[in-house]
Amino acid sequence: MRPLHERFLDDVAAERQRLSRRRVLAGSAKLAGGGALAFAVTAAPGRPGLAGVRAQDAFEDDVAVLNYALTLEHLEYAFYRDGLEQFTDADFGQGPFNLSISDFLAAIRDHEQAHVEALTATITDLGGDPVSEAEYDFGYTDAASFLSTAQALETTGVSAYDGAGQFLADPGLLTVAGTIVAVEARHSSYLNLINGLLPFPAAFEEPLTPTEVLDIAGPFIVAEVAAEGSDDAATEEAEGTGAEATPQATMETEPTEEPPANVEAAPPTEETEETVEDLEVILVEVEDDEATPSG
Amino acid sequence: MQTHDEILAGVAGVQERRSSRRGVLRGAAAGGALTLAAGIGSAPRAAAQNGAGDAVSVLNYALTLEHLENVFYRDGLAAIGPAAFDTFGFDGTVFDYLAEIGANETAHVETLTSVITDLGGEPVAEGTYDFGDAFASVETFLATAQALENTGVDAYTGAAQFLIDEDELLTAALTIHGVEARHAAYLNILNDTSPFPDAFDEPLTPAEVVAIASDFINDAEVATPAAFEGGDASGAAAGTAGA
Repeated sequence: MRPLHERFLDDVAAERQRLSRRRVLAGSAKLAGGGALAFAVTAAPGRPGLAGVRAQDAFEDDVAVLNYALTLEHLEYAFYRDGLEQFTDADFGQGPFNLSISDFLAAIRDHEQAHVEALTATITDLGGDPVSEAEYDFGYTDAASFLSTAQALETTGVSAYDGAGQFLADPGLLTVAGTIVAVEARHSSYLNLINGLLPFPAAFEEPLTPTEVLDIAGPFIVAEVAAEGSDDAATEEAEGTGAEATPQATMETEPTEEPPANVEAAPPTEETEETVEDLEVILVEVEDDEATPSG
Repeated sequence: MQTHDEILAGVAGVQERRSSRRGVLRGAAAGGALTLAAGIGSAPRAAAQNGAGDAVSVLNYALTLEHLENVFYRDGLAAIGPAAFDTFGFDGTVFDYLAEIGANETAHVETLTSVITDLGGEPVAEGTYDFGDAFASVETFLATAQALENTGVDAYTGAAQFLIDEDELLTAALTIHGVEARHAAYLNILNDTSPFPDAFDEPLTPAEVVAIASDFINDAEVATPAAFEGGDASGAAAGTAGA
């Protein structure tokens, strides 16, 4: 069986190809992130048309959008936190200007942690239930596959924010999302560079719908850890499954009642693949754009 | 004529104001959570009144910056030439990558121009610019490029909220925003600074951006749409918009 990260990369490539293909059909297609689509066809004869372009997925409210973002930030943070425990500086070697790659990866990890904390606090402030960290399997086998997975994750993250931004109703939250997605794009640029790719592969990012993002990121999510309410994290606190547990899980979020223990390391309560479905509860999925004939 | 140093000093001034503002906020509470809270507090401004006309203003603001960037790379890379980059010592791809950035900026200009026209607006034209001594050496070119790109990212971050009622235009703007951030990260690296210096980028208001960009622009055609001035710290939103 092929490593998960390879399948993931293939998924990303396939998704992008599909989007490109759809872009050709631009004139009449109903697409998520339609503006970008219109933008992308500028080179073609005629003008980009903005009419009739609509996103396919929608969210119930701003909290749902933020929880979607938080789901991805949890995934990214866990990816770097746990991955960096497993590799040494030497495994990664040196990047541009002989600067240590692992130092930059640590900075990215810290950013993702800050995003998790900020989104969690904001969702709580808004009266919502922030989603918890899940259990993941990223499938990388060495530093090189870790880096290529990182590259794909960050790129997907940018696309996810770009696709979801339009669903935010609060301008302040939109600005905040903008301050995060810019940093994700910076990460992606750097990771492209050290993976030998052009840091800016196109003049426009590709926005992805939540469904498309879940298709890509869902396979990484093995099980949901903490269950429903926000208090559950405290009661379900437990020792981790070993190597993934990190000693520095000191979260400086707005203190709720829960002890700042190794919340992330709780064992999976149920080992099912219903996680993706659970995630989709976050989303109010209107329709599958593939199944919808364009108008 | 402004020297390169003066221009960068202007940028640094704005960056410094932002840092101290941020520092004050940071002191009050913990980290990223605060950043979000601050974002919530500083809500709508001009966004609520946005209609198609305002959307054109926002896009023209973006186009003004894209023109500036486009000309910077087009003229600067032509003036300096690839050979000067051979000794820069990175990995031999720098000139080509910068040319790629320039091509991205050209695409942004063309697209924004086209979309503004489609919306019935009048796209701002390319102006004449003064980049000081930015084209005197690879180093000054890269330092100026870094400042321009980071300012561009912050400009889009700050202006996105004005498109909140225009989903498609907002999404389109975000797809440009991300690419500007990619450019900024790369140029930070070339300037030997972190590609991602903070967990959150900082939005700049149009007033702050114009203060920076107007240093480079000779013919005073900086798009400062009326709809925007309500977003400035001046607080003259209603008066300006209604004027």
